[in-house]
Amino acid sequence: MTPSVPAPVIDAHLHVFAKASEEFPRKVSDQVPAEREATAEQLLDKMEKHQVDGAVLVQFGGNSLETHAYLLHCLHSYPDRFLGIGLIPADSDAPGDHMDRLRDGSNGRIIGVRLSNLGGPEDPFEPVDVRHLPVYPIWEHAARRDYVIWLYPRARDAHVVPHLFEAFPEVRVVFNHLMVCPGPKFWWDKKGRPQADVPMPPETRYSTMGLKIGRILENTRGTYPYDNVCVHISGQYAFSTQAYPYPDLAGWHNSLRMVFGSRRMMWATDFPWILADPGYRECIDLVDELLPDLSVEEKEDVMGRTTATFLRFSAL
Amino acid sequence: MDQVQGFTAEEERLWHEEGALTMADALGGEELQTLQGAFTEAAERCKPRWLSEVAEGTKPAAFFDIPDPFSHHEFFLDLVDHPSYSGRLHELSDGQICFIGPQFRTVPPSLLSYVGWHYDVPFSNPLHFKIQLYVDDVPEEGGAFGFIPGSHRPGSGPYPLVRDPADMPGHHVYPGRAGTAVLFNSWGLHTAMVNHTGIPRRSIILIYEVFGKRIYNPERYRRYAHRMNTMDRRQLFGLEPRPPLAA
Repeated sequence: MTPSVPAPVIDAHLHVFAKASEEFPRKVSDQVPAEREATAEQLLDKMEKHQVDGAVLVQFGGNSLETHAYLLHCLHSYPDRFLGIGLIPADSDAPGDHMDRLRDGSNGRIIGVRLSNLGGPEDPFEPVDVRHLPVYPIWEHAARRDYVIWLYPRARDAHVVPHLFEAFPEVRVVFNHLMVCPGPKFWWDKKGRPQADVPMPPETRYSTMGLKIGRILENTRGTYPYDNVCVHISGQYAFSTQAYPYPDLAGWHNSLRMVFGSRRMMWATDFPWILADPGYRECIDLVDELLPDLSVEEKEDVMGRTTATFLRFSAL
Repeated sequence: MDQVQGFTAEEERLWHEEGALTMADALGGEELQTLQGAFTEAAERCKPRWLSEVAEGTKPAAFFDIPDPFSHHEFFLDLVDHPSYSGRLHELSDGQICFIGPQFRTVPPSLLSYVGWHYDVPFSNPLHFKIQLYVDDVPEEGGAFGFIPGSHRPGSGPYPLVRDPADMPGHHVYPGRAGTAVLFNSWGLHTAMVNHTGIPRRSIILIYEVFGKRIYNPERYRRYAHRMNTMDRRQLFGLEPRPPLAA
């Protein structure tokens, strides 16, 4: 009997950045000053220690091609460990060219782009014509070239999301951070972590999910209507009002499991923001804490098999 | 005031066997016009704040509820015990009806139902029921109410997980003209169907439960005490407890 191949463990969303330099230019801020770094080597050290096989590096520190230099460096240096997600300048008049240059410059390891501002009508009663959305060319190009959309929409754009999913059923989408669509209230806490002031379960779920779930567990008889969409199990530290292991989010995790199923759920840490609190190991353990009823196979899906399959993580 | 009516024999059958029924023309004529006009005015007043809350992520974009609706027009409160259905509500609750709250709701057109199939309360909850009153005409494709007949009975089902509400086996859709009231048992599986018309759906949802200590709250509608001119109304709005049923 042939032993089964162990499922990979993949951290599906995190950020790495070097100290700001000519070689690796990036935006600096009070929270992420020029001398701060969260390098690929620091990440790999954590991954080795905790037997994590791969990771998805999400661009941080700017959306121009130049500011992607460190991401490209990491993807070239560790091609078997990482895939990348890029950013697009908001004022780009040729987003498709930008996406292609990121892909080509990374030997195909930048597999998609992260979007937040969808630019839909502010009033949900206004009709939505996706062809007039500023992000339409990006989705159209993603459909043509098989790029992944890494989606973290603002609350005001939540009602636009199904229109894009409906228009582009062939585009693979990863809904970031528990499918939360945050409002404008962001800040950084004393532990160097971004924080978002959002009610949980998110009010935006009525628009993005189309199901009345969250208040009463298991009262719904619906499943997610779009096969091409997965969701991250991550970002708890930013949304919870309680200390680790964030018990106030257990219900929402179970709702996501019921609606998406383990084959469309991806565990992620959001490194490096979690290093001080709760810690990398603790982020791994969160899946057991918040989804204790997963079967062995389901847990393997969430911890990496879904990511490996959906993102075609060929090295793993 | 109109004569208060109890269930017809057919309505009683529908209530017990299916768990939902419609009452066409529960509101009409001048009353309906008053309701439609007052709803429009109140919604216009409140919409800017709602849009801000949507942008902040503190209110859903998928539906717009007029906040504190009874403060906007006197007639809104009278809908709670409107004679066209109050007799039926008393009958089905053995006179123990207690009003919990209103939702004066507008649902923008969307590619998804904003709720999908769900129940509101588990069978362990006391009898809980709702009136959904259509403010405008609601065709079958216009986000009409959907219910699975018989799903309000313990032991019914199982019911599959569906992607589209229209895929649910055995469901029934309840379209209606403006002024139609749909009465349903909240133990049962129900939904708003997907609105394919492009026209927002306006309706008023009135929520009731049989009286119990759990929901007794004399403060909830204390500020409308001056309009509670009968003991039954005071009990309906929770200003007084309902006396226990005789054994």
